[in-house]
Amino acid sequence: MAEDPNFTLNKASHASHCLRCLRGLPGSFAEADTSRVAIGFYCLGALDILGLLSQKVNESVRQGYIDWIYNQQTASPLGTGFRPSPYSSVSTSASDSQQDDHLFDRPNLIMTYTALLSLAILRDDLTRVDRKGLVNLVRHSQQDDGSFSAFPGKGEADLRIVYTAFAICHMLDDWSSVNIDKAISFIRTCRTYEGGYGEVPFSEAQGGPTYCALASLHLLPAEYSSSATLSVKERRSTVRWLAQNQAKDGGFRGRTEKVADACYSFWCGASLRILGAANEVDEASNADFLNRCQFRTGGIAKTPNEVPDPYHTYLSLAALAMYPPKTENLTWSLPRLDPLLNATEETARWARDHLRISAIS
Amino acid sequence: MSSRTSSPDFPPLYAERPEWSDVVPIPQNDEDANPIAPIFYTPEYKDATDYFRGIVKTGEKSKRVLELTESIIRLNPAHYSAWQYRYQTLLSTSSSLSDELTLMDTYATEFLKTYQVWHHRRLLLTLLHQPPSSPSPSSPTPTTTTSPTHTPTTTPPLPLQAELTFITSALRTDAKNYHTWAYRQWVLSHFSRPELWSGEISFVESMLDEDVRNNSAWHHRFFVVFASGVREGDEDREEVRRRELAYTKEKIALAPNNGSAWNYLRGILTHTHTPFATQADFVLPYTLPYPSPSQTEPLDKDVDVKMTDEDKDTDKDEKNSSPENTVVDLENPRPEAGADLPSPLAIEFMADIYEERGGKEDVLSAVELWKSLRDEHDTIRKNYWEFRINDALHPSR
Repeated sequence: MAEDPNFTLNKASHASHCLRCLRGLPGSFAEADTSRVAIGFYCLGALDILGLLSQKVNESVRQGYIDWIYNQQTASPLGTGFRPSPYSSVSTSASDSQQDDHLFDRPNLIMTYTALLSLAILRDDLTRVDRKGLVNLVRHSQQDDGSFSAFPGKGEADLRIVYTAFAICHMLDDWSSVNIDKAISFIRTCRTYEGGYGEVPFSEAQGGPTYCALASLHLLPAEYSSSATLSVKERRSTVRWLAQNQAKDGGFRGRTEKVADACYSFWCGASLRILGAANEVDEASNADFLNRCQFRTGGIAKTPNEVPDPYHTYLSLAALAMYPPKTENLTWSLPRLDPLLNATEETARWARDHLRISAIS
Repeated sequence: MSSRTSSPDFPPLYAERPEWSDVVPIPQNDEDANPIAPIFYTPEYKDATDYFRGIVKTGEKSKRVLELTESIIRLNPAHYSAWQYRYQTLLSTSSSLSDELTLMDTYATEFLKTYQVWHHRRLLLTLLHQPPSSPSPSSPTPTTTTSPTHTPTTTPPLPLQAELTFITSALRTDAKNYHTWAYRQWVLSHFSRPELWSGEISFVESMLDEDVRNNSAWHHRFFVVFASGVREGDEDREEVRRRELAYTKEKIALAPNNGSAWNYLRGILTHTHTPFATQADFVLPYTLPYPSPSQTEPLDKDVDVKMTDEDKDTDKDEKNSSPENTVVDLENPRPEAGADLPSPLAIEFMADIYEERGGKEDVLSAVELWKSLRDEHDTIRKNYWEFRINDALHPSR
């Protein structure tokens, strides 16, 4: 495989794909209104893994991105966090903001997690983050059953949001706002007979929520390790299910008997790494699959011959950073990734060092 | 619901409509020097969202807001503010929630993959079928910010049964849609009425008749039979276990390499604390090549793998063997002719049986099977099988 000239990670063209998306999206991407901060994270995160951020984005633009992200930081009576974009803001100037706005122009936990990581990727010092407000936001987003909703108050809640709440608490090094026991019990109720986790109780085992469950349990402070650790039997069946999700074409699928999709190389691959079972991935065929998902003009798609997007580009690169193929071809060499926070180890360290509450008080 | 007079495909912009001239549109305030991923909106989307912000600013909740939010949702079904404002407007204007649910039928099939479509539906159904007493504290509660004392003005709600029928038809468009299945599981567990549950097994069976590899349907079966508790008529758990084992094995016979069915088999056994070894006779033929005239069987010398049903012996004292020679042994259905054998999933299962038995010889037998997976039958997982081998030979725990 190493001799195959087509087996090359096209770093420069993937960087171009992400730069294009950062600069603007076509009108057919209106759905991105409610996730622009997350899309920014995928683009900036991909450039971070590629090691091309400071080379491809000059300092004043990087500062501009930092300022834009901070402009999405929104205070509400129930806490402070980041919104996806100004799409629902009715304020025409910064001073003109009404209480009523908060209902529609609200901070969101998923966006808050991706905004914080993006600021860390941009090596912002994070001093403008309202830490107390974040703690408050997390507190008011926990539901009676231990889960978290994206917004404060009652609402849709699932494992994705539990994970983002936990990642925020972990970076802040402040868990005071969370009922941890309830959250652990919610995570447990999402476990299924297959050994994976569903997004909500009773739903089908899927790679994404499985990652969210396992990463959440491992982000917890050490004193919870006894209640958070899987039993030997549970761990076995989860590792088996994850390993069984590597498809014959080398990629990973998110659910039993579905076809492989590039993003699950990350969700399943990171899950195995978190469980200490990273050796069980066939990284050569995984890289071969992702190699074939590369789009000719840049970006990585969910399957070969599909159209690329920042989400699959970022997660494929993150998977390759964890599972680099053994090859002489140096294009595949990437920095090490922190599987729990989903960022390069250096960025994850930056986030922890600069965000912890004790860093400012 | 307000009716649309112009073509629904190309309605005039809100800015061009006299009946909207009293609203002051508010453009999106995204004037940063370096915004991240700005969207080059279509004129229709920009127009509708400018007017939406104008409406939010004044707090108007009227019938025309329903039209405006519908326009936005059609252009961007993930616009959760529009969904939320629409919901509040429905309540404030005492609009018919049944009509809204009907409108949502088309949305759900068009925008299957959007969270908001299903969340909105959940809120509607919760209100339409609010029990007279207070709902259970663990159930999801709608984000009701306006008065919850909404009284539907028109048609009474359809029975909940109709909701399951709707979901079934939505699954025809996308049989593995995650949101659709999660929504079905929510309807069943949230309302938990006996008449809702009663048709679920036959529903699952029809889905699996369509596609025996539909893991969502298998998962749903486990949810209905085991994970959601014991219901009337299913109290005889021994009978339930027997029924589920028979069904699953029949499906494995049909498609021996179907991971969903094997996972379900493992699920039944683990859930009912049944040793895997009880299935050794069933699994064995699937671990061998097919057809293979010279094959001998280490576990049960009486059974000849290549025998057809007609040839099958009748002396076995199994309770399910039939007095006639022509009837299939329900406990141990054989692989269908032409099946792709051996099945790596069967070999894995057999190795687990050996490992479960735990004797020194058993472990070595398991290791042999794992080696055959590693080297021949399932090489993509060679590292995993290597791990199983090492783990069994040198247990660290």
